[in-house]
Amino acid sequence: MGQDTGKRGIASVGGYLPLLRLDRSAASKGLQFSGLGGRNAGYRSTAGWDEDALTMAAEASRHSTSTVAPTRICFASTSSPFIERGHASMLLEALALPANARTIDVSGNRRCAVSALLDALLGQGDTLIASGEKRPVRAGSAFHTAWGDGGSAAVVTDDGGAALIGYASLARDYVDLYSSREHPTPYACEERFVKETATRDVIAPTIKAALADAGVTSADIAHAAICEPLPGMWRDISKATGITAPNHASDLSAAAGDLGAAHPLFALALALDAAQPGDIILLAGFGSGCDTLIFKVIGAVAGAAKARAALTQGLVFADYVRFLSLTGTIDLDWGIRSEFEQKTQATVLERYGRDMIGFIGGRDTKGNVQFPKSRIPVRPDADGPEPMEDMRLADVPAKLVSVTADRLNFTPDPPFWFGLVQFENGARVMMEFTDADADGFKVGDSVSMRLRIKSRDKRRGFRTYFWKAAPALRPIMEA
Amino acid sequence: MASGIKDRVAIIGMGCTVFGELWDKGPEDLIVEAFEEALADAGIARGQINAAWVGNALDDINIGNSALPLAHALRLKSIPVSRVENMCATGTEALRAATYAIAAGAVDFAVALGVEKLKDTGYGGLPLRTKGLANDLWMPYGSAPGTFAQLAGAYTARHGASSEDLKRAMAHVSWKSHRNGALNAKAHLRKAVDMETILNAPMIANPLGLFDCCGVSDGAACAIVTTPEIAKGLGIANPVTVKAIQLSVSHGWEASYHEWDGSSIRNTQEAAKRAYAEAGISAHDLSMTEVHDCFSITELVTMEDLGLSAEGSAIFDILDGRYDNNGAMPCQTDGGLKCFGHPVGASGLRMAYEVYSQLLGRAGDRQLANVDFGLTHNLGGQPANSVAAVSILGRLN
Repeated sequence: MGQDTGKRGIASVGGYLPLLRLDRSAASKGLQFSGLGGRNAGYRSTAGWDEDALTMAAEASRHSTSTVAPTRICFASTSSPFIERGHASMLLEALALPANARTIDVSGNRRCAVSALLDALLGQGDTLIASGEKRPVRAGSAFHTAWGDGGSAAVVTDDGGAALIGYASLARDYVDLYSSREHPTPYACEERFVKETATRDVIAPTIKAALADAGVTSADIAHAAICEPLPGMWRDISKATGITAPNHASDLSAAAGDLGAAHPLFALALALDAAQPGDIILLAGFGSGCDTLIFKVIGAVAGAAKARAALTQGLVFADYVRFLSLTGTIDLDWGIRSEFEQKTQATVLERYGRDMIGFIGGRDTKGNVQFPKSRIPVRPDADGPEPMEDMRLADVPAKLVSVTADRLNFTPDPPFWFGLVQFENGARVMMEFTDADADGFKVGDSVSMRLRIKSRDKRRGFRTYFWKAAPALRPIMEA
Repeated sequence: MASGIKDRVAIIGMGCTVFGELWDKGPEDLIVEAFEEALADAGIARGQINAAWVGNALDDINIGNSALPLAHALRLKSIPVSRVENMCATGTEALRAATYAIAAGAVDFAVALGVEKLKDTGYGGLPLRTKGLANDLWMPYGSAPGTFAQLAGAYTARHGASSEDLKRAMAHVSWKSHRNGALNAKAHLRKAVDMETILNAPMIANPLGLFDCCGVSDGAACAIVTTPEIAKGLGIANPVTVKAIQLSVSHGWEASYHEWDGSSIRNTQEAAKRAYAEAGISAHDLSMTEVHDCFSITELVTMEDLGLSAEGSAIFDILDGRYDNNGAMPCQTDGGLKCFGHPVGASGLRMAYEVYSQLLGRAGDRQLANVDFGLTHNLGGQPANSVAAVSILGRLN
């Protein structure tokens, strides 16, 4: 392409990490007897029970779609909760985007979000690429602590501030690890094989081809977002490619874990945050080959600072059993109360589902906002049916009217916080709360809305989504 | 203009089973026991019953839908029988239906019976909803203590009360009911408990501890009603009569409109206001109350909602002993939901049973000296979305 041929670029990015960060040393202690485990230092971002690849992709996208309404939405993940149910369509509804946008799910390897990003940059139309990962891993595996949960996003437009100036792709059925329907958790090949051949045969050749395509040298790269197949491989990649720029993908792995398909765009966001105007950034996604993209920063890219802030806005925990439970590696017996039926009726979901996942309430003819909508408004002086205008509540500031921590009710991560939430625009909703920090919740607290799993029908493998109130501010992790 | 039902209906017989974890009794046993006691009390033949209403709130727990369980258990011979359900206010709803049938002149003798067999769930607490309907897509799956615990923080926020004072007052509510329940042979929980134990109990839903929550029980209660004229014909010179029964139901204002502060229950206030008007009395004319103390915070807030304590002062009235058995306005003389127990569909009628017993001087060790009017308050749902029933009973003359 060459530096002067860049046409389309990235206008905004997003990075989301769940609140909880496991202190990896806690896992090491828990596994000490066995000699198993992996990385001992840093933190492992850990999704709440009510988070999955879709919710985290949605959270990352909320930051990056505030100014652009994309006409194409791509959802990328290797841990999508559904095999047959389009996540991009759910994402569209969660973000309340126009239903005539084109949607697509991509998967197959952890490079998929980068491949989709490249397609978007080479294609047309404002495009959202959103990625989320909550990959199932068996306890004891090194991946269990080396990997993390999170989401990322990027919006591509004709005039995005990070312009594509070169790229290269390499497709190769290189099986460093795999998961399958028969083996949903990762099955890994010998580390020495990967360390010796992945860089040599897949990553380095692609990076060199991209540099050549962009007409730049490794010395021109100011920031890198190069995904390592295994922790600690950056040194070899750097040596093989001559790139000495800081690699934000490695920093992200240390701070939160390898986020799989969500890792490259999150790392790119960190690189963009660190970059200056005119800087050249190299992004490389690995998995069944490699895609390498080279950008030049020619303007503003929204969302990068928020992505960096997410690295340190969290709550450290060291309860290894809770970690095992949250990651689904142990199945605790929660007793009979946990057996309650959560079947969702498809007809009900079809009638009300879009208003639920999009958090769409209604404004009546006198301007009062309520949720959910009703034929006759809740407004006390309403005297019959009225038309209602859609009003999205997801981004409206709110405060708590009442609250409790319910220890009787079943929840996979007690206690069950809930209460009455008053929105600034007049709406009020009895809601579940999530992401409680050490102080919990109290009357008058400011809260913001998070898309979360509402119900999980384990028997039938189905789940529904709704919004939950979370503290408006997250705690800052100590350095 | 409607004139209300004051003194148009007499209660001539009541029955109530022992409440508790009745592992050896099925719903049929409970229904028959409560009814036979009421029938013997009324002194009429079973064939004289013209209509019946059965209250059962949680139909999926053993008893079953419709009126058939009652008709079968009592072998009611092809008379009209209906099932009513209005959450925890179900028992009073059954009494209201039977009372209205008498007041309307539709029948001479009607039965109201409430029954619940909660301990067939296999676990503590109330069963969860299992519907898969629209509300399940967004409403929290909160437990009953969770929904009522919401009152506490909102109450302290509104009145500037300290959490410590509130906790002590709630503990006093439970301490008092345990003392009363110990005197009641039919109560589920019959053991006095000291304040320290209550205050240090495990947390269920902040700030409600274990002893702030009522018993979850099996049981049944029954009333037989007729007109005062027929009652007199049966030799009951001064029967217990219904002075008022009122119901108020949420329409979404609390949980969906921006005015309610979460610290009180408007349906209780509305139902009480109308009940006092129907009975032609004020709150201060009452001799006693049996209120819906599903949780201690509910009783505390209800004292204000019924107009028995001034706004923001229930904490201090409770701690001063105003609602103790020897206080100015005894509350839960039978132990209340807290200790008599709470078989949901039966509770409203159990409250009426205690007032009826007190009015007739049959309350034994817990008998109050002077009882002219007794109020029952039966509350269903949750503070943010409730059904409140208030009834007032007294003597005809």
